[in-house]
Amino acid sequence: MATLWTLQQLHYSPSFARKDSAKQLGCRIVATFYYSGNCWKRTSACKTHRKFVLRAYSHPPPVKSSGDGGGAEFDNDNKSVVPAVPDEAIMVNCNNNEYPQQKPKRPHEDMPQSLVFKLQATVASLPPVIFSMKRHFSASFTLGLCAAATLLLFVMRSYASRKSNHSRPGSVADLVRRGQLRSDRRGISTPLKYDDPFNNPMVKVGKSNSTVEMCGRVYKLAPVTLTKEQQAIHQKRRSRAYQWKRPQVFLKEGDSIPPDVDPDTVRWIPANHPFATTASDIDEDLAQNNVYQKHGVPFRIKAEHEALQKKLEALQNEQKLDKLVIDAGAAKDFERPFKSPLKAEDQIVDKGPLNGQMGSKQPNSDPVHKSHRSASEEMQNP
Amino acid sequence: MISLQPLTNPKASALYSSSLIPPNPFFHSLKTLKPPTPYLKPFPRIQSILQYNRKPQLAGETPRVVVITSGKGGVGKTTTTANVGLSLARLGFSVVAIDADVGLRNLDLLLGLENRVNYTVVEVLNGDCRLDQALVRDKRWSNFELLCISKPRSKLPIGFGGKALTWLVEALKDREEGAPDFILIDCPAGIDAGFITAITPANEAVLVTTPDITSLRDADRVTGLLECDGIRDIKMIVNRVRTDMIRGEDMMSVLDVQEMLGLALLGVIPEDAEVIRSTNRGYPLVLNKPPTLAGLAFEQAAWRLVEQDSMQAVMVEEEPKKRGWFSFFGG
Ligand SMILES: Nc1ncnc2c1ncn2[C@@H]1O[C@H](COP(=O)(O)OP(=O)(O)O)[C@@H](O)[C@H]1O
Ligand SMILES: [Mg+2]
Repeated sequence: MATLWTLQQLHYSPSFARKDSAKQLGCRIVATFYYSGNCWKRTSACKTHRKFVLRAYSHPPPVKSSGDGGGAEFDNDNKSVVPAVPDEAIMVNCNNNEYPQQKPKRPHEDMPQSLVFKLQATVASLPPVIFSMKRHFSASFTLGLCAAATLLLFVMRSYASRKSNHSRPGSVADLVRRGQLRSDRRGISTPLKYDDPFNNPMVKVGKSNSTVEMCGRVYKLAPVTLTKEQQAIHQKRRSRAYQWKRPQVFLKEGDSIPPDVDPDTVRWIPANHPFATTASDIDEDLAQNNVYQKHGVPFRIKAEHEALQKKLEALQNEQKLDKLVIDAGAAKDFERPFKSPLKAEDQIVDKGPLNGQMGSKQPNSDPVHKSHRSASEEMQNP
Repeated sequence: MISLQPLTNPKASALYSSSLIPPNPFFHSLKTLKPPTPYLKPFPRIQSILQYNRKPQLAGETPRVVVITSGKGGVGKTTTTANVGLSLARLGFSVVAIDADVGLRNLDLLLGLENRVNYTVVEVLNGDCRLDQALVRDKRWSNFELLCISKPRSKLPIGFGGKALTWLVEALKDREEGAPDFILIDCPAGIDAGFITAITPANEAVLVTTPDITSLRDADRVTGLLECDGIRDIKMIVNRVRTDMIRGEDMMSVLDVQEMLGLALLGVIPEDAEVIRSTNRGYPLVLNKPPTLAGLAFEQAAWRLVEQDSMQAVMVEEEPKKRGWFSFFGG
């Protein structure tokens, strides 16, 4: 009965922290042992439980305090009463007990029950060794079942309570769940930008300093033994093995070496090198200035713009002078596209920026126009 | 009853409290463990970061010009540049990453900035744009900027390629908003003109290698060249380490690698499928949430880079995790 009380207590106890409950459970079970030892002068746990189970369907629940010393009577009762027990007794039992899991048989299984009791009666009449073994088995099985059911209940309960916490709108837990707050940084307004990579929930160093747990996996650690001397030895070895002079001069293959240059420091760049070229259309000082320029229009854009401006002015002056003369020529220009496609292209390019007046007369204007075109394209999508 | 025992087991409760134990001096060096000292810099921008509970202490003179090189291609230089660079930016340092891989430029892809690169250093040299127009500022971390050397089809005038990079560093130093804390240079593979250009302005180097013999030989050679060139501060990152293969003796361990090269370790990056996924997304690994194994390793490497520190212990093999009976329920 102590057992029964314990289990009931456990089952209906309010939810407390998991660890505590486990401790409590432990105490209770120990207590059970203690009682059973008292009353039976036997320490076997299964004996106690067997007693309890059988009692459950032979009697309405006795008063809790009558536990001590009652055991022997029950056992005697049991043997005599079981065959004759009516179904009602079971009904009463289950109602009073309020603990359905403990019963191997449920009231609504009426039909097979009489059969079961007959069977049990026959079992009871069998030789005592087999009988006790049988009872032993079913008792421990029932106990296991009870424990499992209780545990499941606990897990579900704690889960449910956690869930209900979360779903309460507006609570901190709710905010954390929605990503508005970080649970580990309550009270600090700006979000954390990084975690300490050496000590965070994903990285933990073992207590013995010989293991580290990263991302749920445990790794062994081995100390690094490299010394400064060893490092120096390696450096010396390398300096002997790889004698290298940094190339100072880059020349195109086929060029001759300038007189004041150490041939060892020349790096030859083939003409078809995929990404490097020795040719540069701009000199070093200018390039350096370009890198250092902080404000204003970039050098080349400015230069091109100025060149264009000059050309435009020049053309406008020319236009004013030769206006009358040019007219006839312009008329002729319109016929050109039909004559040669190559010239037609020049024509169209020239017409764009210069109003198509006198383009064909400027054979050397092409590079400027092209670069202007590319520059303006780039300006459109910065 | 037996099944209930582990709940009261000290092991299980240790699982809850272990995040409180202080980090281990063994795993990352003593220097990393110093109590955080306030990081004082002339810029107020950086002081606003003091709310962090722990952050690395910047060692050395700024800007720290670090070249990330390997010799062999495809070992993870670009991946390292992107991830270490963004980690540094997240730690509050201003970073300029220069993609000096002239031939096979892809740092912009890894960072997801490929659509924003309009101008490169070649255009700056030619005077088609100013330097500030060629710097691409990352929208996620505004103290991170990308600078590409050239467009895929244009050629770098190599005659002053190396000098050009030195000018760039000079120009970045006296920018109005102040010199960046770190200039990371993603070096091209090989020891060709591109390599020579890339290492010119650097005063320290991060050597990326994988634990295989071809990569190691190239790494040794490159280290030799860097040393000839006067770069003495060389640390290595061993990338694509598979702890499961080391245990089977199929792969050199990190310590084997270190014995062969004799270089201090900046980081060990495990092989991680997430690296490839993040490459394809244009979203560096270190920004992933929750962090992945390789991402954490990159962050640790960045931390050590800031403090000019190196690893004192390495992970060698995986141990089966000892689990309590009830860790199944969320322990
Ligand atoms: N730790 C890693 N795990 C898995 N794949 C990796 C790792 N590091 C690099 N890779 C992959 O290797 C390839 C080459 O990397 P990349 O950084 O471009 O090398 P590099 O710049 O040295 O040529 C990429 O596809 C990348 O996804
Ligand atoms: Mg690359």
